[in-house]
Amino acid sequence: MTNHPVETDIQRSKRLRTRAIRNFFQALVSHSLIIAVGLFFLVPFLWMLLTAFKSDSDVFRTPPRWLPYDNVRVEINGKAYPLYNVKTPEGIKQYAALKIQSGVADFVDPANPEVVIPTELQQGTERVAEAIMEVSFRWQNFPDAMSRGSRPTVGTSFWTYLKNSLIIAFFTIIGTLFSNTPVAYAFARIKFPGRDLLFILVLATMMLPFQVTMIPLYLFFNDTLGWGDSFLPLIVPTFFANAYDVFLLRQFFKTIPEEMCDAARVDGASEWQIFTRIVIPLSTPVLATVTVFTFLYVWNDFTGPLLFLTSPKNFTMALGLQDFQGQHTMLWNQMMAAATIFTVPIVVAFFFAQKTFIQGIKLTGSKE
Amino acid sequence: MDELSNVKFSWPPKFRKWTHSEKNNFKLGMIFLLPWTIGFAIFTAYPMIASFIYSFSIYHSKRPLEWVGLQNYATMLTDDLFWKALWNTIYMVGIGVPLTLFASFLCAVLLNLKVKGQAFYRVIYFLPSIVPTVAGTILWIWLLNPQSGLVNTTLASIGLDGPNWRADPDWAKPALMLLGLWGMGGTIMIYLSGLQDVPTHLIEAAELDGANWWQRLWNITIPMVSPITLFNLITGVIGMFQYFAQAYVFRGGGELGAPLNSTMFYSVYLYQNGFLFLKMGYASAMAWVLFVIILLCTLALLKVSDRFTYYAG
Repeated sequence: MTNHPVETDIQRSKRLRTRAIRNFFQALVSHSLIIAVGLFFLVPFLWMLLTAFKSDSDVFRTPPRWLPYDNVRVEINGKAYPLYNVKTPEGIKQYAALKIQSGVADFVDPANPEVVIPTELQQGTERVAEAIMEVSFRWQNFPDAMSRGSRPTVGTSFWTYLKNSLIIAFFTIIGTLFSNTPVAYAFARIKFPGRDLLFILVLATMMLPFQVTMIPLYLFFNDTLGWGDSFLPLIVPTFFANAYDVFLLRQFFKTIPEEMCDAARVDGASEWQIFTRIVIPLSTPVLATVTVFTFLYVWNDFTGPLLFLTSPKNFTMALGLQDFQGQHTMLWNQMMAAATIFTVPIVVAFFFAQKTFIQGIKLTGSKE
Repeated sequence: MDELSNVKFSWPPKFRKWTHSEKNNFKLGMIFLLPWTIGFAIFTAYPMIASFIYSFSIYHSKRPLEWVGLQNYATMLTDDLFWKALWNTIYMVGIGVPLTLFASFLCAVLLNLKVKGQAFYRVIYFLPSIVPTVAGTILWIWLLNPQSGLVNTTLASIGLDGPNWRADPDWAKPALMLLGLWGMGGTIMIYLSGLQDVPTHLIEAAELDGANWWQRLWNITIPMVSPITLFNLITGVIGMFQYFAQAYVFRGGGELGAPLNSTMFYSVYLYQNGFLFLKMGYASAMAWVLFVIILLCTLALLKVSDRFTYYAG
């Protein structure tokens, strides 16, 4: 042992206190930095949700308020009218506005609804009436946005787009799972001559930009097969494997112990039986990853539907939302409501399968 | 892909007779590979060949292809909008991609700090990246609204006059970069997993030697995650050259590339030529040029990175 000078109790407690103070400030700085940067990620997201709950009059308020506000209303003869603080010669009174037209409001006293008081809202430089607002979440925006869609004239709504997106997602997931697993199994477990060369070819296709094959594929599906304006060009190719999922599945299949398969082989199991009875049941985590990522991809995909789907009744959510934005540039509350409905399934999926998400990202991003 | 880097290809290839089991395995392998083989032939090989032929032709919808040799490629040289689109794309690749990488790395470093609530913070940073592209882009159109948008009203509250983001040709691309930064959660997570793989004994050893936080970051962490930087850089560059959906949605009701073609990116112009002007031949030629640009960039990055990338173990 080396000769350390013996530390007195006072020195010790002093040392510990300095350390505690230093740790406290370090934590404070860390938290502040993380939160400051975090606001950049969080606030836009919250703003989408909050806008979705705002009333039409509140959306364009400047400066904007965080919480959604709506008019306080009173019921007169079975109909709800907004309440205003109106400056009258007898002081400020709460009146309901029956209608407002070209700067003139028909006010009534809710206690005495028979007497209509027409009032000019702007008298000189003074505004005589101020709407009474309260915090209120306008849930009605969601059904409104959903039933509205972008082209009410042709009878489509976001319900149609939602249904279309779900149909395409469902078949794409089926196709992806069924077509990629045997291919990945062959690359992981069957030792056939030329396997590595072929696998490099599979990976090389990842490098090919979609733009190169896009035009002939478009002409092939539309002109040769007559599949224009249908889901088939989006669904059918997913039944024929893709490099990304083959790679992901192969990486996982290689981790399943070879001995298990060998034991089954000794017992006379065929390669197909080993694949379906042993490897697939052991692969549920990676199959979940593939399912989640396929769903995410299809849900998000914009270019594919843009190329192949032309009539609004076949639009997906992505296409419908873009169309809606082009048609109704001012309905921000309904647009944000539709965007929220579009986003919610993915956020829900994320919270249920957080590990799966992160795993998939790391599998794709890792160098192995 | 460790085992793949050990694959040796001899040239000329040596042919020998396959053994019985090799023959069997080959047959078996081919059966399992059938979905991919068919898909490759129909959805990759055929379209590649076709698009190569189209790129030397003029496409007429009702008449056969008209062979024009290199004309499509020659047109590109004198097409001002082509150069504008290429310039816009290079601007995004040159500024947007490095900016995103740098910001992602910093965010990953923050998220790797040992603090309470770390898991919660990670979710917050990651969440925007799973918002669908169209929803996220429309949200940012709203946020960047010059009068009522949250960004400009916030700037106004601290006395700054925010630009008219989407209508100003100088600000449209920075606006798109902002949208890109908001959705960089995936890149952050890849960096974060890299940071977690940096051996703690290296950091501890440096700490004992008296290296401060900055020295540890600069001399240990950054070199250790350099392969991840390379990966993110290459995927970022490849993705940015194909930048399409955000630009398409971001113009709102305006024409493609609005304002003043400042958001006319390579893939947007390619789409416009192929599907709006029906110049399928010209668009195919553009696609092949894009492919070559992407290949050259990737190879150049791999070549240059040899000197800057450190592979542990």
